[in-house]
Amino acid sequence: MKIIVLNCGSSSIKYQLFEMPAKAVLAKGIVDKIGLKGAAIKHKRSDGTEVKLEGEILDHQSGIEFLLGILISEKYGSIKSLDEIDAVGHRVVHAGEKFSGSVYVTEEVIAALEDCVDLAPLHNPPNLKGIYAMKDLLPEVPQVGVFDTAFHQTMPPKAYLYGLPYSLYEKYKIRRYGFHGTSHKYVSKRACEALGLDINTQKIITCHLGNGASMAAIDGGKSIDTTMGMTPLEGLIMGTRCGDLDVGALLYIADKEETSIPYTSTLVNKFSGMLGISGISSDMRDIEIAAENGNERAKIAMEMYQYRVRKYIGAYAAAMGGVDIIIFTGGIGENDTVTRTKSLEGLEFFGVKIDVEKSLKSRGKEEVISTPDSKVKVIVVPTDEELMIASDTYEIYEQIAQGINN
Amino acid sequence: MSETLADFSLGKRPQTKGMIQKVGVVGCGTVGQEIVRTISEYGIDVVFLDLTEERVQEAFVHIGEQLDEVINHWGLTPGEKRAILSRIKGTTNYNDLAECDIVIESISSRKKGTSLEIRKEIFQKIESVVKPDAIISSNIATLMISDLSNGLKHPERAIGMHFILPISKTNVIEVVKGINSSDEAFGQVVKFAGMINKKIIKLNESPGNIVTRMLVTTINEACEILMEGVASVTDIDMAMRESTGYLYGPFAMADRIGLDKVLKYMENLYQEYGDKKYKPSPIIKRLVRANYLGRITDRGFYNYKSGKPVDQTVTCAVIK
Repeated sequence: MKIIVLNCGSSSIKYQLFEMPAKAVLAKGIVDKIGLKGAAIKHKRSDGTEVKLEGEILDHQSGIEFLLGILISEKYGSIKSLDEIDAVGHRVVHAGEKFSGSVYVTEEVIAALEDCVDLAPLHNPPNLKGIYAMKDLLPEVPQVGVFDTAFHQTMPPKAYLYGLPYSLYEKYKIRRYGFHGTSHKYVSKRACEALGLDINTQKIITCHLGNGASMAAIDGGKSIDTTMGMTPLEGLIMGTRCGDLDVGALLYIADKEETSIPYTSTLVNKFSGMLGISGISSDMRDIEIAAENGNERAKIAMEMYQYRVRKYIGAYAAAMGGVDIIIFTGGIGENDTVTRTKSLEGLEFFGVKIDVEKSLKSRGKEEVISTPDSKVKVIVVPTDEELMIASDTYEIYEQIAQGINN
Repeated sequence: MSETLADFSLGKRPQTKGMIQKVGVVGCGTVGQEIVRTISEYGIDVVFLDLTEERVQEAFVHIGEQLDEVINHWGLTPGEKRAILSRIKGTTNYNDLAECDIVIESISSRKKGTSLEIRKEIFQKIESVVKPDAIISSNIATLMISDLSNGLKHPERAIGMHFILPISKTNVIEVVKGINSSDEAFGQVVKFAGMINKKIIKLNESPGNIVTRMLVTTINEACEILMEGVASVTDIDMAMRESTGYLYGPFAMADRIGLDKVLKYMENLYQEYGDKKYKPSPIIKRLVRANYLGRITDRGFYNYKSGKPVDQTVTCAVIK
């Protein structure tokens, strides 16, 4: 069966067409600059055929219409007609407290997601646009929502509540939700498969280190804590986001620099993190080169990044009463061998022994980087959120199909 | 011919018309610059037109400086500034407005005498180059959109839009429907306002709309209080700021708008309504005569240094 996976952003749509359960990618691409000048679709078929088509893309619906048109076209297509599409999987950023797993999209689900728009005003509206467009274009095809926040819904109140008046949680659902859930779930599952271990018995710490970065403590397959909070700003130091910060410092800055609330948001989201500290770039590769050339701020930035990761490893080991597996994923986690290796320095005392040579060499592939005698296994697992969405969609589709047959 | 996306349309629905991709602004004084900047910040291409190449260049420099000021307060990244500037084109040629979906006339209302005729002429020049369904608008405070549009072949496409200063901080636009304005044109302007994140206040045309009418009477009343020797400029401003939550007191606001413009608004409204409450206060007239025009000349009701008020210029009568 064929499943199309959509990841709708404010002005772009990433898409992949999967053959399931074979997990084969038939085609993928991106609809870019929706509603703007220079709108285009970049499409790539599994046989390597590539094309960039330009034209006016008024909104998400017309973008999706065009991408479907390309998928069924003779020249660039992978299917003969739209009837071949069996299901659609959507990445949805915020499902609040409503869903703790992927769901079949019904009117009730849509209403619930509309309710979550306040929590993710930048992300949820385009996600919903994708759902509405598909409902309109492929009304007979089941749609599945896969949520970034869902995996972390197993966190207990002691991990997800803030030390704020409880009434604010009751009134506005101010709490920690966590993100990258699809990735944390995928890599933890995948690592256990690769290591031949039962996930239900493992204490796992996952480090999703990309442009945005978060870690999760996964006990027996359930997320019990994660570094991102109500928004993706909390936790680790990221490319341009500050991560954990004393709110008092922010209030002080706002007063001194006469910054309004929107400006303060730009400050902590776009000017901070590795870019803000190093003054060089938000890209770890640039910072590493600068550090090698003796740039002090670049060195400090890298040390801060590694230190924050190490600190959370310690915290999560304490939270779970131990750790069996540490997983690295995401652009930095998979490819930045130095950051990864240094983040694990000094953890021998609780059983983390790294094969440093191997860790410094292994790039972008699934590989164990701890020594064979290491009590804690450390493994790199490339993330594949699209595949995870396709798999969840497939599972839910099968359930629905069985329901109908029974 | 190379293939385009249109070749892959499913034809499920007609491609809706009326998308706003490019906006023109005629006149690029301080207000025009703020309008241009705001529109570009929301990802829309802007073409602005002014009389001379020098004025176009000057406007570019000023917009860049305004953006730098935002960067200094962490509101924008240098990359975003480059993107904003890249969407802005300056010109002296009306033909460059041809592709615009909306053109907003925003010439300075500083010059003496009525600007009605000049603005009508600009409206006609705009109409001669734009698409048949393009909206022609004017950033007007006390003039009437019906008067401006009566020389157009299609007056139904004209809608008044009053941007309220400071445009980047104020979340509303007064949208004015004239006698001939069509619902379609109004709908387009509402859509545009949404695209630049402004709420709209819909009104039927009336000189001064809401904001200008309330503002000039408040400024006049503040001048009365000052002349009577009740309180000083700074105290009156502080009283209004702190008690009502206004961003600026009446004198600071008058200085921001420009006292010459305030005077003109008052004269227009006085002429229109014949009501004494709009009659310009003698203090304002005296200040304008002395070229104390407000922030733009670094002195008005206050003296300014680097755009910040340092002391008051007018003291009131006090019995000792």
